[in-house]
Amino acid sequence: MRRSIVWTVLQREWFETVRNRLLMSTILLPPILLTVAPVVLTAAVGASALPPELEQQVLAQRPEWASFTPGELAGAFAVQQFLVFFLLMPAYIPLSIATFSIIGEKQARSLEPVLAAPIRTSELLAGKAVAALVPGLLAGWLTYGIFVALASLLYGPALFGVVTDPSWLAGVFLLGPAVGLSSVVTGVIVSARVNDPRVAQQIGGVVIVPVIALVLLQATGTLLVGPVGYTLLAIIVLVVSLVGLRIGVRLFDREAILTRWR
Amino acid sequence: MEPPSASTELALTADGLGRAFDDRWAVRGVSLAVHRGEVVGLLGPNGAGKTTTVRLLTALIRPTEGTATVDGFDVHAEPESVRTRVGILTETPGLYDKLSATANLDFFGRLYGLAADVRAERIERYLRLFSLWDRRDDLAATFSKGMKQKLAIARALLHDPSVVFLDEPTAALDPEAAFIVREAIETLRRAGRTIVLATHNLDEADRLCDRIAFIRGGLLRIDSPAALRGALGGHRLSVRLREAPSIDQVGAVRRIAGVRGAETVDGILQVGADEPERVAPDVIRTLVTSGAAIVEVVPEQASLERVYFEIMGVRPGADSLEDHV
Repeated sequence: MRRSIVWTVLQREWFETVRNRLLMSTILLPPILLTVAPVVLTAAVGASALPPELEQQVLAQRPEWASFTPGELAGAFAVQQFLVFFLLMPAYIPLSIATFSIIGEKQARSLEPVLAAPIRTSELLAGKAVAALVPGLLAGWLTYGIFVALASLLYGPALFGVVTDPSWLAGVFLLGPAVGLSSVVTGVIVSARVNDPRVAQQIGGVVIVPVIALVLLQATGTLLVGPVGYTLLAIIVLVVSLVGLRIGVRLFDREAILTRWR
Repeated sequence: MEPPSASTELALTADGLGRAFDDRWAVRGVSLAVHRGEVVGLLGPNGAGKTTTVRLLTALIRPTEGTATVDGFDVHAEPESVRTRVGILTETPGLYDKLSATANLDFFGRLYGLAADVRAERIERYLRLFSLWDRRDDLAATFSKGMKQKLAIARALLHDPSVVFLDEPTAALDPEAAFIVREAIETLRRAGRTIVLATHNLDEADRLCDRIAFIRGGLLRIDSPAALRGALGGHRLSVRLREAPSIDQVGAVRRIAGVRGAETVDGILQVGADEPERVAPDVIRTLVTSGAAIVEVVPEQASLERVYFEIMGVRPGADSLEDHV
């Protein structure tokens, strides 16, 4: 695989992405909301304690939070809900970019001239995949960085410790990229069969369902996933993504694009 | 300016080339050789296999049977080498609408591995050639259909390919845009480019091609437009006399060397000949000597349309709308 060709594809993808206002708004708005919302919510709940039953449930799963004041515990529990939201960014941003990119090319019928050039389909797919994946990851990480800075500034070392503990780091830096890859793979597979980016995103949205399930489990205190849990989830998602990637590569075959993509 | 004559060196060969999709053959048994500098038309109706043939010859899809080479590189065994040596204008321009004309060309120049200075020089050269230089920074989305088609042709030429494939370059264009694109192709022809032009436009093929290959599920026939007309007995002299010719006068004309036949149709003497302009003086002399008063002598050729229907085995109007009314 020639990196210069992958880079050429990637640059063009980004160039077109930043010119797509609709796509850019769906990429930029949620990270801003996700940075502000947790801080405001934590401030709101931080003043009151958790119900005793929930407090027991949380401490059973997170004994290291036993030293927190009731306010800090409520804040930690509230802030913990937002970790999964940082997983949504690498899930939906790559999905949006990948579906817009591939279906956009199908609609403009611009893939045939590209495939007529001496580019390998693996290089084209790699360029598109990386172009879709990187903004999602960077948005997630950047938002997380701002979130951590705000949390430590506003709520002190206790909550700073919560949002930088191993479970958060594993979630953001291991599970996030794995979810992002699965999202790209889903985008490629769905886009090969569908001709409307919005339909593709709705179908591809199934990737987000497990993340939402994780949100609900965490919110009810049923399951507070720790670092080992996030690492295991990352490995599972990665393996599933790699299997999907093989299917995606087959769908992205030169002949398949020219003769079957309609 | 006359187009340069084609060289004896082969730019493109195909031997028994065919492609099936599932159990249906899109095209089969295509054998041809295109010389460097030659313009060859692939002529056939919609669904005849022209686009499949172009895709096979540009190594976009693999052949089910047969072989083809471009500059000696096999389309099946060395597809990447073939792709570096061909330029293609696909059925639709397939431009990136959100990129400028320059950015569109620059992207493809990079895919073909051209250095930055070479890209810059060629982008300027082709944008100027096709009168798009003043619009170089405008988004492709703002271009008219004809301009988009010209930009796509510039893209196909950017890496200086050995063979340029133009797939239906004027289809779906209005007459003005089609004219602009035909002028662009004529410019390439004059520059000695090797061109394969897939079209169903008879006039376009007739005007631009050195040879025409009739395709319909396979290669039916390939020859120069003149030879195709000649082979179908298409050359003739049309002689209008003040009075209809007598049987003796028609007989005298038939006996002239080079004349294939003569008959009177609607009072006009139709004289068949392989080289009408060469026999014309003898025909005129014979008729004048026999006392005929000649009003007009016109050398005529069968239209390519007639040749097309003959080769395709189609009788126009055989299943016309009127039959169903």
